[in-house]
Amino acid sequence: MIEIKNVSKWYGSFQVLTDCTTQVSKSEVVVVCGPSGSGKSTLIKCVNALEPFQQGSIVVDGIAVENPKTDLPKLRARVGMVFQNFELFPHMTITDNLAIAQIKVLGRGREEAVDKGLKLLDRVGLKNQAAKFPGQLSGGQQQRVAIARALAMDPICMLFDEPTSALDPEMINEVLDVMVQLAHEGMTMMCVTHEMGFARKVANRVIFMDRGAIVEDAAKEDFFGQPRSERAQTFLAKILNH
Amino acid sequence: MNYHWDWMFFFQETDDGLKYYDWILSGLGWTTFVSLASLAVALTLGSVLGVMRTTPKRWLVGLGDAYVDVFRNVPLIVQLFMWFFVVPELVPEKLGIWMKQDLPYFVTAIVGLGLYTAARIAEQVKAGINSLSRGQRFAGLALGFTEWQTYRYVRLPMAYRIVLPALTSEAMNIFKNSAVTYAVGILELYFQYKQIIEKTSQVLEITIVVTLSYFILAFVMNRILAFVEARTRVPGLIVGQKGGK
Amino acid sequence: MSDFDFSVITQNWAFLAEGLRYTLQVTVTAMLGGILIGTLLALMRLSSIVPLQWFAAGYVNIFRSVPLVQVILAFYLIIPLVLQMITGKQIPIGAANSAYFTFTIFEAAYYSEIMRSGIQSIPKGQIAAGYALGFTYGQTMRFVVLPQAFRNMLPVLLTQTIILFQDVSLVYAIGATDFFGAADKITQRDLRPVEMYTTVAVVYFIICFTLSRLVKRLQSRIAIIR
Repeated sequence: MIEIKNVSKWYGSFQVLTDCTTQVSKSEVVVVCGPSGSGKSTLIKCVNALEPFQQGSIVVDGIAVENPKTDLPKLRARVGMVFQNFELFPHMTITDNLAIAQIKVLGRGREEAVDKGLKLLDRVGLKNQAAKFPGQLSGGQQQRVAIARALAMDPICMLFDEPTSALDPEMINEVLDVMVQLAHEGMTMMCVTHEMGFARKVANRVIFMDRGAIVEDAAKEDFFGQPRSERAQTFLAKILNH
Repeated sequence: MNYHWDWMFFFQETDDGLKYYDWILSGLGWTTFVSLASLAVALTLGSVLGVMRTTPKRWLVGLGDAYVDVFRNVPLIVQLFMWFFVVPELVPEKLGIWMKQDLPYFVTAIVGLGLYTAARIAEQVKAGINSLSRGQRFAGLALGFTEWQTYRYVRLPMAYRIVLPALTSEAMNIFKNSAVTYAVGILELYFQYKQIIEKTSQVLEITIVVTLSYFILAFVMNRILAFVEARTRVPGLIVGQKGGK
Repeated sequence: MSDFDFSVITQNWAFLAEGLRYTLQVTVTAMLGGILIGTLLALMRLSSIVPLQWFAAGYVNIFRSVPLVQVILAFYLIIPLVLQMITGKQIPIGAANSAYFTFTIFEAAYYSEIMRSGIQSIPKGQIAAGYALGFTYGQTMRFVVLPQAFRNMLPVLLTQTIILFQDVSLVYAIGATDFFGAADKITQRDLRPVEMYTTVAVVYFIICFTLSRLVKRLQSRIAIIR
């Protein structure tokens, strides 16, 4: 589903990604972790070409994202993404947030789009918030709406960019529950997160990144059993203790 | 003091059969018309320029910056004189003659004042767009919006809300700036003010009336935009504290 | 464009330069006077004495809602009336002189708003610290608040001055010979609008563009120090 091959990226002369290679197969859940500044957020943004990269290739469902001929809006519409800061559109109601891209990008009728949006809103447990504006919801609620908004596009896979790190601790679980449910339903997911409990529960593989490179890429059992690299061990010790 | 106050002169008949207050009303009409039309030109062009200056395309940014630099650094009256007396000489002869003979004065004046104000609006629109978090653009793109659609549905609606107070003061300024168009023959309020002073020398009365008129125009504009601001206010959002970093 | 005649400019350069000098003189006078009066108005506006607040608010709001051309003409006509009332004599002061006065009074309204936000941007703790050292209100303002407010607002004050420099062209309304007025008078005589008005536009652009770039640089330097 997602093939990342030898991807390198520079900001000017500063290298942020070094020769990253990995893949996410259909219905697989891959968790990407690593210290801050390790390039994991940058890597996941490369997958739907929100960040350009200078070397290597990324193929999503058979389409090369770095190919200048690729219709990026069309590709992005099929890849769902959830952001650290939710990024709901503050000037629209929750209903409009859910419907706008279905209408303007997929060309669905308004009624169909709203209908679909509300169904998904119900699924994330926020049915009665439809008429509100994002600013009137808590962070956890906003993030659940953001997930519903991405799902409304019928994505072939989902990208999560630190979906819980801007949340107060008591709200993290409501978001993780939705993600776990998604994983159980067979959604292909690439998740940048530090939530190791989530990784233990649903991940197939765990990737550990440091200083722009993929240091460890292992099946969940192996990763939590005994990470091969010392850096991953230190990292794990730090976040598991805390 | 030997100044003779005479408030009744407003009702005296003038050479052209109208009364002085008719002159004032007619001036008020032209001031309102020229100002609103220029504002429309300025908002449209200013928005385009403001958007251009936030795109990743270098040449669009450069073009927008150059426009703002030129139009902000030359006085309005000089710009108007350029449009009226210089540009028609520089364009192809036929077009020049058409500009001088057939193009109504007020159109040139509106375009001149509009282009001048557009530079200021462009600054505000750019500032508004840049004040939004980068994530908003990403979120739009991730949903499959084109770059243009992220402006249309995501970034501009918020940017306008954020800079509405600044746009309000530009909208109030344009009424004041429209007075300068008297110099290129627009019979607006200031022109009438000058003309009435020449005819009657009742300086104080007419100054008070015209000052009040401008005051009221600015006030009405302010109220209209305050209404717009209230109508477009987003529930749950405190202005100046936008989501995300 | 082919018959753009540079000799029209060179022949009349002395007259134009004279106009430019007048423009600069009015600008500098109105800047210094305007900032001084503006600062006083800002202090009045922020004082606890209600009549002073009202006076300052009224002053600022009236001048900020009226077109400058109108104020230029009104003052030109009203100043002699007032002088006559006071002295009982007719004192013709002339267009050129009345502009110095008009611009100072008018710009004070704008400078005062800038100084007011500058003063308000100073943390309350600074004022408390001033009083704690035994300063009076006046001393606290003079030694603690105003110098900081002035420094923080310097770029905005200078930007306003660039606007003022452009606005002097509006003395056209009373026929004074500023830079633009000089060019306009030459145009009336020689009928060379293209050369004359273009020269004015280009010179204004070069001066204002250079100054605004310098202000921008100053602004980033102040931002770093803070």
